[in-house]
Amino acid sequence: MCFKWVAAEGELRVDPVTRAVDASRARRKISDYDRNTIEAARVAAGSMGGELVGLTFGGPDARTGLKDALSRGVDRAVHVVADEGTRADGHVTAHVLAAQVRRLDDVDLVVCTEGASDTYAHETGPRLGELLGWPVVTNVRELTVEGRTLRAVRVVGVDLETVEADLPALVTVVPEVAPAPIPGLRSVLGAAKKPSEQVPVADLGLPAAAVTARTTVTSFLG
Amino acid sequence: MTGIYVFSEDPRLAAELVTTAAALADEVYVVCLGADAARTLTATGATSVVVLEAAGPGTVGAPRPEAYVAALAGLVRDRGADLLIVGATVSGWEIAARVAVLLDSALVSEASVITALPDGAWQAERVMYAGGAVQTETWSGTAVVTVAAGRAVAAAAPGSTSPVEVVAVDVDARVRVVSRTARVREGVDLASAARVVCVGMGLGEPGDLALAGDLADALDAEVACTRPVAEDRGLLPTERYIGISGAHVHPDLYVGLGVSGQVQHTVGFRDAKVVVGINTSPTAPLFAVCDYAVVGDAHEIVPLLAAAVRARR
Repeated sequence: MCFKWVAAEGELRVDPVTRAVDASRARRKISDYDRNTIEAARVAAGSMGGELVGLTFGGPDARTGLKDALSRGVDRAVHVVADEGTRADGHVTAHVLAAQVRRLDDVDLVVCTEGASDTYAHETGPRLGELLGWPVVTNVRELTVEGRTLRAVRVVGVDLETVEADLPALVTVVPEVAPAPIPGLRSVLGAAKKPSEQVPVADLGLPAAAVTARTTVTSFLG
Repeated sequence: MTGIYVFSEDPRLAAELVTTAAALADEVYVVCLGADAARTLTATGATSVVVLEAAGPGTVGAPRPEAYVAALAGLVRDRGADLLIVGATVSGWEIAARVAVLLDSALVSEASVITALPDGAWQAERVMYAGGAVQTETWSGTAVVTVAAGRAVAAAAPGSTSPVEVVAVDVDARVRVVSRTARVREGVDLASAARVVCVGMGLGEPGDLALAGDLADALDAEVACTRPVAEDRGLLPTERYIGISGAHVHPDLYVGLGVSGQVQHTVGFRDAKVVVGINTSPTAPLFAVCDYAVVGDAHEIVPLLAAAVRARR
């Protein structure tokens, strides 16, 4: 599963004169809905008899998020460390995540959240699925895996759509897919013993075009 | 300038996108699925209507819109479009992101303002942190942008008929639809409500609903709620909750009563023109996206507000 380390939206500061948003001093956290996603992916991995790898791409500070993800039920965490000062848009993020997923062995299912609490762009999951060349199922609120078949109930406008696809596949989920239990003391302590790994983005060997943002941010105002 | 392509599986939204695109380019091509949609869209003044018609193996019945991703990307690439605008629906979000990969291009999700810059580049604004901030992005070359419903009026060009081109395309049958059912509904259409009074967990006792109902009555508004009020407490039917997986509303006025303002809720009304929040906690996250913030007990303030609204009518 993929998770995102984001600024806490309640702690953004807005300059009263320029309206410029300063997120540098805001506390960081796992994107809210990623907590539900970890739980849904944990249950899915259990039913498949597999291992749950938590994957994130972010600056060096995202390292703090690994322990949080591990305490919430991820078996192993991988942090692709972004170069400081470079901006990643959806294009870059999806290329990095896809390259790292390919480096893992025998991945059958990737679960992303439908959107992150900062951007909520509905972008990274379907981009990643397309780059991997896998079937994509978005906006999922119920997820089951039987054998090599994924079955999902999607919320599509006013309808509920039940679909099936063969593995490997990429799914994006909404928070209703699973509760997000607060990790107990044992889980938090156990997280320290689980493996985690940091991979510099340069180690992925991606071409420059894949890690160059397609858009330029010219302003960010409150 | 080779023009803008717009796509939505929903013809009504596609007609709105024609209006958005026509403000940016002389030539607007509207891409749709099915002959019925094409008939509606020929009356929009679009340069032409392109119908993607599923062909090839695996075509049974009407394929899901997501099955046309490769076909849409191929069309946009072959025709050298400047921009593809996709209607921001559940299917549209997925289609836009996957087409952007196939075009190796930028995606701007749910843009509120799109501008063609003099040097041939483009600029768009989008909301971040569920209304807490606005980000402006620029790019050059072909890109994909999604635009939500209600951003523009549907294009109508009475008396004119756009030419229709039918393009036979292969569809992707890897995701199979097993069933599709309507969620249980009681006939409320929050998405088109002009005013919404929303009940949060701070006002989540059964007796409190009358309070919200009274204010809604005074404002001629629909009563809505946050997810826990509907799904955890069962106080209102699930189609009345606003949020990521619930209703997405675009009202002129949103009044949140005892709503804390978690992002999964505020995403559902980020297009609201005026946002009012009433909450006992001055640090409620809802206040970050409010135009008017009232710190106080809704039990005390709501009857006063309802009376004041009635006095002005």
